[in-house]
Amino acid sequence: MDLFNHLALGFGVAFTLKNIGLCFVGCMVGTLVGVLPGVGPIATIAMLLPITFGLEPVGALIMLAGIYYGAQYGGSTTAILVNIPGEATAVVTTLDGHQMAKQGRAGIALGIAAIGSFFAGCVATIFIAALGQPLTKLAQLFGPAEYFSLMVMGLVFSTVLARGSIFKAILMVLLGLLLATVGTDLETGQERMTMGIQSLSDGIDFTPLAMGIFGFAEIVRNLENPEARDVVRGKIGRLLPGWADIKQSIAPVLRGTFIGGILGILPGNGAVLGPFASYTVEKKLAKDPSRFGKGAIEGVAGPESANNAGAQTAFIPLLTLGIPPNAVMALMVGAMTIHGIIPGPQVMTKNPDLFWGMIASMWIGNLMLVIINLPMVGMWVKLLKVPYRLMFPAIGIFCCIGIYSINNSAEDVMFAAFFGLCGYVLLKFGFEPAPMLLGFVLGKLMEEKLRQALILSRGSFTTFIERPVSAGLLIVAAAMLCLALLPTFSKRREEVFTE
Amino acid sequence: MSDTGNTTNAPGGTSDNTYNVPQDLCGGIFLFLIAAFFAWKAWPLPLGSLRAMGPGMLPMSIAAMVGIGGLVLALNGLRKGSLLQEKWHLRGPFFVLGGIVLFGLLIRTAGLAVAGPVSMVFASLATNEFRFKESVIFAVCMTAACIVLFKYLLGLPIPIFQFM
Repeated sequence: MDLFNHLALGFGVAFTLKNIGLCFVGCMVGTLVGVLPGVGPIATIAMLLPITFGLEPVGALIMLAGIYYGAQYGGSTTAILVNIPGEATAVVTTLDGHQMAKQGRAGIALGIAAIGSFFAGCVATIFIAALGQPLTKLAQLFGPAEYFSLMVMGLVFSTVLARGSIFKAILMVLLGLLLATVGTDLETGQERMTMGIQSLSDGIDFTPLAMGIFGFAEIVRNLENPEARDVVRGKIGRLLPGWADIKQSIAPVLRGTFIGGILGILPGNGAVLGPFASYTVEKKLAKDPSRFGKGAIEGVAGPESANNAGAQTAFIPLLTLGIPPNAVMALMVGAMTIHGIIPGPQVMTKNPDLFWGMIASMWIGNLMLVIINLPMVGMWVKLLKVPYRLMFPAIGIFCCIGIYSINNSAEDVMFAAFFGLCGYVLLKFGFEPAPMLLGFVLGKLMEEKLRQALILSRGSFTTFIERPVSAGLLIVAAAMLCLALLPTFSKRREEVFTE
Repeated sequence: MSDTGNTTNAPGGTSDNTYNVPQDLCGGIFLFLIAAFFAWKAWPLPLGSLRAMGPGMLPMSIAAMVGIGGLVLALNGLRKGSLLQEKWHLRGPFFVLGGIVLFGLLIRTAGLAVAGPVSMVFASLATNEFRFKESVIFAVCMTAACIVLFKYLLGLPIPIFQFM
């Protein structure tokens, strides 16, 4: 049994006192920052990245995984307690989770979210371990044309999954690709559009861009909708759900895990869809759908499991193909590169202890969440009562220190401020920033693969259609796009996102 | 392109028809200007051929796509609506982003001990709930905590005090 040998190796690496300690600290600070309203996983990871610099690679990745899960769970906590989703995937949790909190069942909502997430995490860990190796083998069959088509498919998914107009989302993807072309040309070494700025010769840095657009622009936007916060005043209540609650949640958790896990693998931020899909399914299957939106426990258990399963299986495209499926994973690429690891199929063969250690640490991270978060809910509630007028300068200073520390560069801080302004303007024009970020993330790799593919085919675009795998991927992408543009479907899509 | 004039995509989820259409006009022009800027900067780069692409090929072609898309969006917006109706605020962006710029300017020249409080107090001015005393005390305490955490506990090379 290869799978068990590998997992045993992984747990051997991860189960040292030091690594468990790192995972614990990572989960805790991740949750601490993730709980702050308007700070999603991207901002959290970017902010906390510098604290892992002093560690050796395995420890650093374990801690980062902890931070990631902490940030995810922190987002759900704010969704339940304050009715503000920390990030897109927690939107659904606000519907029933916050209602439960209003009815004095906040503790149970948080508890079932943690337990569901833990279960989903366990399944997803095994899933990754089982799928990792075959997919890596598959990746070795991929030529440049296949890689390019796969990324095209990912970008198409991201536009279909973005809120609002698809046309605008496509424009955002293109804008992201355009930004990615800044910097030294890969083949000729010529500087492109750097405007003579030294630090741009390596291209625009991802962290300032992401922090500007998701961190600072978000702060500015929050200031415009003052005090929409609605911190639960009543008691948190019992944390551990009773038998009746558990019985009600088992099936939704199983279904949510399945749905979220499958969608999470899709390139192009499929994980976002998981909670929505799970919620819709639960509502359809429920005997009494009218309970949904009024504090139905299934509406928390299913989407939260889907959320966590997707958050974890999103690692699969990154670890096996080296393609980050969303912005958070792109940050993970950055983090891994800092520690000297280039994500992709070679990680598994070259650093097996790192690969399996990280997978094992995902499971440990999930366990930590249950252990540390439930007793600490009271502290998060206190933190959430700090008024925003004090909170946002503090968030700002943490972001600044984080950005500065990554390259010890004051220029990066200025870039982040500039991108914050751009992000604010784009938000005001009704452009969704997520597709742009994904376009930017994939841009460099796409250009490289496109050029390689065209060199191999001597400048003929038919190579993308003649190769069966590549053609298949493009057909899926085209079909998705057509489907999304059909009037009936686009109406459904709108409903899903405005619900 | 039937999707272009779609509504219900204002971030707040507003589905008011007159709300979003003018957004498209200005948003399209904005994108067009960005694309034009990139095209201007990429102009001197050799295009090469499809068989052996030059450095300018992709920037140029993507900029063209963004520019044309922006124009389509703008024209569609023009066809349907009139003036920009989304509320723009100046105070929030100015002080929040200004605070960050201040941090960037001061971190190397004066150090975190100065950059922290200055940028935090400046950013605090973004709300009309600003209270001077509270903001200053909070900023100083937060900066002290950050110095202890990042400089001494984590050992990051951040300048604390720097005198020119």
